[in-house]
Amino acid sequence: MAETGLARREILGGAALFAMVVGIPTAAVRWTDTADIVTDRQRAVLRDAAQRVIPRTTTPGAGEIGAHDFVILALAHGLDGTRAPAAGAALPVTLSRHQRRDGSLDYLGWLEWQLDAGTQGDYLNAPPARREAAVAAIDKAAFADAGPDLVESPWRKLKGLILTAYYTSEVGGSRELQYELVPGRWDADIPYTPGSRAWSSDWTAVEFS
Amino acid sequence: MAQNPVFDAIVVGSGITGGLAAKELTEAGLKVLMIERGPMIEHGSGYTRETLAPWDLEFRGVGDAELYDKDYAVQRKNRHFTEFTQDHFVNDRENPYTTEGSTEFNWWRSYQLGGRSLTWGRQCYRWSDYDFDANRRDGHGTDWPIRYADLAPWYDKVEEFIGVAGMAEGLPQLPDGRFQPPMALNAVEQHTREVIGRQWPDRRLTIGRNANLTEAKPDQGRAACQYRSICARGCSYGAYFSTQSSTLPAAQKTGNLTLVTDAVVEAVEQDPATGRATGVRFINTKDGTRQRAHARIVFLNAGSFNSVGVLLRSANEANPHGLANSSGVLGTHIMDHAQTVAGIAIMPGFEKHSYFGNRPTGVVIPRFRNLDTIDGKGHTRGFSYQGGAFRAAWTAGKRNPGVGKDYKDSLREPGMWRMVLVAFADSMPRASNRITLDPTIRDSAGLPALRINFAHGAEEHAALADAKAEAAAMLTAAGGHVIMGMDTPNPGGSAIHEMGGARMGHDPRTSVLNKWSQAHDVPNLFVTDGAQMSSSACQNPSLTYMALTARACFNAVSMLKEGAI
Repeated sequence: MAETGLARREILGGAALFAMVVGIPTAAVRWTDTADIVTDRQRAVLRDAAQRVIPRTTTPGAGEIGAHDFVILALAHGLDGTRAPAAGAALPVTLSRHQRRDGSLDYLGWLEWQLDAGTQGDYLNAPPARREAAVAAIDKAAFADAGPDLVESPWRKLKGLILTAYYTSEVGGSRELQYELVPGRWDADIPYTPGSRAWSSDWTAVEFS
Repeated sequence: MAQNPVFDAIVVGSGITGGLAAKELTEAGLKVLMIERGPMIEHGSGYTRETLAPWDLEFRGVGDAELYDKDYAVQRKNRHFTEFTQDHFVNDRENPYTTEGSTEFNWWRSYQLGGRSLTWGRQCYRWSDYDFDANRRDGHGTDWPIRYADLAPWYDKVEEFIGVAGMAEGLPQLPDGRFQPPMALNAVEQHTREVIGRQWPDRRLTIGRNANLTEAKPDQGRAACQYRSICARGCSYGAYFSTQSSTLPAAQKTGNLTLVTDAVVEAVEQDPATGRATGVRFINTKDGTRQRAHARIVFLNAGSFNSVGVLLRSANEANPHGLANSSGVLGTHIMDHAQTVAGIAIMPGFEKHSYFGNRPTGVVIPRFRNLDTIDGKGHTRGFSYQGGAFRAAWTAGKRNPGVGKDYKDSLREPGMWRMVLVAFADSMPRASNRITLDPTIRDSAGLPALRINFAHGAEEHAALADAKAEAAAMLTAAGGHVIMGMDTPNPGGSAIHEMGGARMGHDPRTSVLNKWSQAHDVPNLFVTDGAQMSSSACQNPSLTYMALTARACFNAVSMLKEGAI
C-alpha cells in the first residue's frame, strides 16, 4: 500500500509539474493511471504531428499555437469519447499494448510508438520530410476503407482533436477563418468569391458538417 | 412568506407557459405568486457566457466530458447543451429520473428562472383541425374537447405578444398566424422549395416560423434579431421570446407579481371538505425547509412531466392515486414526437452562392400525409420535416484524409452545400406510455423521482420509414446526392416535445382536464403546460401550450369574478 501511495504521489507531482510547464490548470487534469502521464517527448511528438497536419501558411500552424496542449487536456478529460473503453477482445495488438487499465487507449503512447516506427525509431530526430511522410502514412491508413470489422485508428480521434484545438483557437478561428459574434443581419443569398474564408462562427455548419 | 399569505393565484413554474400565466393573471388584476424550482437568472447580466468566443473557454465550447459524464449524462446528448449553455440545463445527478424495462428516454430539462424558454428552439406552429380531430378520427386516445376555432383568437394574442416571424402559406394543415416578416430562404432552400412545389403541389417548403423578432418591439424593450444564432446562451437583446425577455417584465410591471426561486413544489394541497385546492407546499432547495402558500386558484406549469409529478405527489386520503385522478389516467398517454434525421444530401450547383449571418431558424416542410385522403403507409397521422441548407465548415475535415498545406487550405473556404431534413412524426397516445413515481429513488430535494415507461410503436416506425423515403425523393429531385437517411426514431424525449399525462377530454371518467384546462375533480386547479395535451400532432407544440394558457387564464379569471370557482 505504501508503495502504491508513493507511486500515486509521484504521479500527481509529475502531473502538477507538467501542468505548470504547459500552462494547464493542475486541477483540470485528472491522472488516474500511469498511462496518463504525458512525457516531454510525447508532448513534443504531438506538437510536431499537429504542425504537420495544420502547418504554417499565411497563419501559424497548429503546433505553433499550442493545439497539442489542448489535445492533452482533451484526452485527460475524455473529449470525443477518448476515455471510453476500446473494443476489447477484438483489439489488435498494435492497439491493445496501448490500453489503460480502464480499457481506454493511451492515445499519445500509441502516436509516439507509431511515428517512431515510421521513422526508424526516432521520430523527433528524423528529417522533416520523413516526419511528414510518417504522419501522412498514419493518416492515409486511418482513412483507408477499413471495412466494418476493423477497429478505427486512434489517429481519427487525435486528428479530430487537433482540428478542434486549432479552429477553436483565436488564430484558427479568427485569423485563418473568420469570426463574427454579432453579424447583425442575415444576407440569405450573396455571391461567393473564390478564396473567401469560411466562418468559424457559422455555428450550424460547424455542428452539422 | 412566513405568514403564509393568501394570493389570488399560484403559478408553479416560470417557463414558457408559467411566465405567460403569470403575465395574463397579473394583468387581469390578480395577486400572483410564481414559484420556480431553480435559481434566478437575470435577463442580460445572468447570461454569463453569452458573448464569449470558443477560445475564452477552457474546453473551447465543447465542454468538459469528464464533468458531463458525472453530472450531465443525459443533458449532454442535447445538441443545444455546450460549454456555453451548460448552466441552462439540469444536473442529472442531482435530479434523477428512472425508466422502466427497455425504455430509452432523454428527458432534457432546464431548472432555472425561465425554464426551457431560455433554451427552446423557438419554433411556433399553429395546430389545425387535422390535429384536434385526430383522436376522434382514428380512434387513438380520447377526443379533444376543443377545435381550432376555440384557439384561433388565442393564437393571435400570443403571436402578437411574443413576436413570430413567418411566411403565410395558406395551408389548412398549418394555419397562418399574425406574423412578423419572415427570415429569407438561402439559395439552396429557395431552389428546393421551387422544385418541391412543381413536383408535389400538395407539399410546401417554407421558412421556419420562429419566435425571433425581425422587427423590434420597443414597447417590450426588445431589439430585433442580430443573427447570431446562439440563443440558448441567453439573448441580452431580448430578440427571442423567453420569460426573461417578455412575460416576466410584463407581469412585474403590474406590481401584482411575487416571484420565488429555488423552491420546488412538493404538492398541491386540497381542502377535504370542499375538494378545492388551497395552495401548495414547497421546499426551499437551498436549506430544505418546507413552506406553504395559499391561493384561490392554482396553475400548474412545471413542465409536462413535472406537473404530472406534482399531481401524483399530491395524493391524499381521498385521492390515494394522485390529485385530480378519479379517472385513473393521470400520468398515462405521454407522448414525444418520433424524430430522426430522415435525409442529408450534398447539394451541388450552388458553389457561387453563399450567405452572411446566422439565421436562428431552419426550414419546415409541413405534413402532407393523411390529410383529406388517408394515404399513409402503415400510419394514420402525419410527419413533418425541419432542417436547412448550409455550406460545410471545418468540422467536415475530421472525416477527410489529408495533412499539410493543401489540407489546411481546403478547410479555409466554405465547403459543399449540404441539406438536412429531420422528420417529426405524430406520437400516438398510448395508455402504456406513462409516468409514475419511483418507489425508491429520490432527488436532491428528497422528492420521489419520476419513472418513465415509453416506447414508440408501429405507427411511428411506419411514419418515419415513409418520411425517410420521401426526404430522399425530394432532396434528389432538387439535385441533391443523398448521403444518409434514417428511419429509426431517436430515444423518446429527443424531440424535447414531451407532453400528455394529464390529458384534456370531454369525460371526467377518461380525462384529467376539461376544455378550459381545468381539473375535472378540482375546480380551481388548472394545468396549462404540455401535460394537458391529448394528442401530439407533428409540429412543435409550445405555441399551442401558450394559446391554451392564455385561454385558460381568461376563463379562470372570469370564473373567479363570477364566483363560479
